[in-house]
Amino acid sequence: MTAELTKIKNDAYKSDEYIIVPSVDIYENENEFVITAEMPGVDKDGIDLTLNNEELEINGKINGNLPAAENIKYEEFRLYNYYRKFNVGDSIDSTALKAGLDNGILTVTLPKKEEVKPRKIEVKVEH
Amino acid sequence: MFTTYDLFNNVNNMRHVLNNFFNENYTRRTADYPYVNLYEKDDNIEIAVLAPGEKVENIDLQLIDNSLRIEIDKKADYKDSPYIRKERAFGKFRKSVMLPYRVDPDKIEATMKNGILKIKLVKAEDAKPKKIEIH
Repeated sequence: MTAELTKIKNDAYKSDEYIIVPSVDIYENENEFVITAEMPGVDKDGIDLTLNNEELEINGKINGNLPAAENIKYEEFRLYNYYRKFNVGDSIDSTALKAGLDNGILTVTLPKKEEVKPRKIEVKVEH
Repeated sequence: MFTTYDLFNNVNNMRHVLNNFFNENYTRRTADYPYVNLYEKDDNIEIAVLAPGEKVENIDLQLIDNSLRIEIDKKADYKDSPYIRKERAFGKFRKSVMLPYRVDPDKIEATMKNGILKIKLVKAEDAKPKKIEIH
């Protein structure tokens, strides 16, 4: 049973359908949300970002530039395409989305809409 | 609100586990060392290291006898803002890779592209087999 399950899992692992969920850091400041995702093996042309229905989809197509698999002697990782979806809500200004890729790190900047940015409220002291 | 133990919750959990077993999504586990692949063909070794975002000056490679030591000082790039998610790992990573044979220390090439560090090594001349003539 265990051997069968392992075999099935190994077959699934070999398929092209296999997808890696990249690990991310997300922070927020007054004006924007910034997502930093680790996507080694992806180059600029392989990145595809879509913001639709308050959902941000990150697609990363790997550029298979590893040496031929038949020469492998010791393996700890494999490269697969990346995919992750975030629910970003309606506070994002979808027209001003920015993204950059530097050495396998994708940075997506999601600016907030004007109306949700924090506003300074003047306090008047009445005498 | 009070909740009572419901056996079917556990059954549902079990179903979740089974469903996820065949699910094609998975996350790379964060490890204390960088992931390394070793390829060997004829007299050439190629090592690939997963090192996204690493700066070249923070990577230290040393050939010690017939093993290659890879040390990466991954500096945290945290900003002074509230974080919603922190999944990436930072710190000092070190790994020694045992090479199948001695390599020529003058012919080592290391390149970094798209977050993958590749090291090319060539077998040392004196590690190659030698034919012995019989007189």
